[in-house]
Amino acid sequence: MTTPLATNRPDSETLKAFESDLNKIREETIAKVGDKDARYIRKVIRIQRISDMAGRLSLVLGFFNPLFWIAGVALLALSKILDNMEIGHNVMHGQYDWMNDPHINSRKFDWDIWGDGESWKRYHNHEHHTYTNIIGKDRDYGYGLLRLSDDITWRPKNRFQFITYTLLSSFFQFGIAYHEVAGERIFAGKRKENSSLPISREALKHSFFSKIKKQAFKEYLFFPTLAALISLPMFFAVLAGNLVAELIRNWWTSSVIFCGHFTEDAHTFDETECENETRGEWYYRQILGSSNFEGSRGFHILTGHLSCQIEHHLFPDVPAHHYVDMAKQVQAVCAQYDIPYNTGSFGQQYWTVLKRVAKYSFPTEEEQRIATS
Amino acid sequence: MTASSNGLMQQSWTWFSQALTQHDTFQGYFQPLIQMLAPQWSTDSYRAQIVDIRDEMDDMYSLVLKPKTGLIDRHWPTFQAGQFIELMVEKEGTRTLRCFSISSSPAYYEKTGLIELSIRIQAQGRITPWIRQQLKIGSLVNISAAQGQFVLPQTRADDQNLEKYLFIAGGSGITPFRSMLQQISSIASNSREQSADIQLLYYSRNNQHVLFQQEFEQLAQENSGLSIAFIDGEESGFICTEHVQAYCSDYYLRTAFICGPSPMIQQARKVLTELEVAQDKIVFEFFGAAPVEIESNEQGAVVFQTSDKTVISEEGSVSTLLEQAENAGISPVSGCRIGVCHQCICKKKSGIVFNTRTQQYSDTGSEEIQLCISVAQGDVVLDL
Repeated sequence: MTTPLATNRPDSETLKAFESDLNKIREETIAKVGDKDARYIRKVIRIQRISDMAGRLSLVLGFFNPLFWIAGVALLALSKILDNMEIGHNVMHGQYDWMNDPHINSRKFDWDIWGDGESWKRYHNHEHHTYTNIIGKDRDYGYGLLRLSDDITWRPKNRFQFITYTLLSSFFQFGIAYHEVAGERIFAGKRKENSSLPISREALKHSFFSKIKKQAFKEYLFFPTLAALISLPMFFAVLAGNLVAELIRNWWTSSVIFCGHFTEDAHTFDETECENETRGEWYYRQILGSSNFEGSRGFHILTGHLSCQIEHHLFPDVPAHHYVDMAKQVQAVCAQYDIPYNTGSFGQQYWTVLKRVAKYSFPTEEEQRIATS
Repeated sequence: MTASSNGLMQQSWTWFSQALTQHDTFQGYFQPLIQMLAPQWSTDSYRAQIVDIRDEMDDMYSLVLKPKTGLIDRHWPTFQAGQFIELMVEKEGTRTLRCFSISSSPAYYEKTGLIELSIRIQAQGRITPWIRQQLKIGSLVNISAAQGQFVLPQTRADDQNLEKYLFIAGGSGITPFRSMLQQISSIASNSREQSADIQLLYYSRNNQHVLFQQEFEQLAQENSGLSIAFIDGEESGFICTEHVQAYCSDYYLRTAFICGPSPMIQQARKVLTELEVAQDKIVFEFFGAAPVEIESNEQGAVVFQTSDKTVISEEGSVSTLLEQAENAGISPVSGCRIGVCHQCICKKKSGIVFNTRTQQYSDTGSEEIQLCISVAQGDVVLDL
């Protein structure tokens, strides 16, 4: 059920103090942003480039020893995960725009995944980050495929949603690419009446296909063909390697994201209650709607610091590698004001995600009664 | 190859690069790796090494730069006397650009491979004092290719009817003239011909602050065609019709070149116009951003659509859209901030903007604009 905010929220005095405490954390962090951050992101980019090239080379060397093939898949998956999570997602949030670097800014960046960066920025930064976990407004909530709350009417297809979830995670890059196109009912469904799409439907369709064409050319044609020059069967070895690397990346990103908003205790909200929110109320909702998980520094980097989903939702444009430090401060502030702060190990959090997917496969008792009567 | 098939090749190559690297060029993708071998290598600028830093006066210094040559570096294209370059430095992780005239001559560059920039320390500036403190001999900086229209028309050696010039310089606005005079002098000494006829009016704050005075006196001695009037601003005041008439009685035969601080340029243009010098005989270059000259500045809202922010611009205030965006906490890519580098280009969805560089008002429709030299006139919607 959606969390009734009006009755659950701390009083406005408390929220005001809470807001200024969070603002202070933000200001103190922003003051530290500089040289070190520029060096950090460039280093991550270098590691990504090297693992990309080494991965593709290693896949071909699989011709001599299959162990190379396995290493190649791992390196390529690492490259894609770093590119999508720690680099792409964060750069496209504008976290590094202050660097004024023509290659590391939200306006120019595009990532190594099917979803076109421009399209993703349009719906993600605005829609998902503004309407986080508001049923009916945040289309990222269950991606229009999964029933993750009993505010959504149960349908017979939800019975199989564990399979849907498995498919969604496996083809997550298609899901991300298709998201805005689906929202605008480009190929199917009744045309949206009051769409705020800033580009024409034709242009949206074009960028959707154009990006997928480029990605498919690279992964399923160009690099396999290059390998086929050594020996024909290598075409399939490299193709398979690329597909497995994509599959690993898809499952990883999907799992990280699901742990960010769909854990057992992540709240959902009703649209009417979120109108005219103050900054403090908005902070409060972002915290209730998100969840963190803990891990080592390397682990945080692989999640693009979405392991600190709460901090990401509070401060989406602060360079993400500061989130780990900010999380300690945010958690302390939450404790002070008695505001729930949802965190745990990755295993624990992921287990509750699976439970949630399973739980809402079934109708509520109410719905069952209506169905049987 | 025809032009269109050339274009097609280019397009296919860009597509190929985008498909493989998500970057418009392969160099863009490999830049971070190339930088491991060649620090500060970049796709959109040239690398130059600081060979010398010379203090000229208490608030003025010259950087002597050697554009890098070699396998990794593209060849820096040469320049015409009077042109400027963008100097890019990274301060606290932020890449910052400033434009400076080259104060040495192309002939000198050909001979030594060196160029000089003479930079005034802006007391309140973020960058010019910082460069002086932080950069050391041997440091690398990034520079653009030379650009700008503030150049002398190409005169052929066999041209009998050599043009005559009136140069008017104010303070550090002397730098492009130093380049021109050095160049003319070096050509003249090589060809042993009569050098061009030039009258230079050189305004300084006072007689303690005359940049390159000795050098100019020597140039005037060596070149019979060159005559220089050093004018002490404290003593003689700003440029006026009397000055022009007194120091350069045949001003009406000459093409005027003006460079200096904006108020001085405005004043010099006014004076020459009063003296009925034709507009096409007046060439000038603003040092820094062109001043905003708007007669009426309407109040209006600037909507930054992508960032979902709206800024109300107050009546009478003239900040550029770039400043407004930055004040609203949006950081668009920016560069020179004077309308040269085109990095802050942004799609205007609707509304009228005033371009401070061209002094033109835009159309109301959708078009690309440069944020750093655009001032909103009424309501403007930006795709930012």
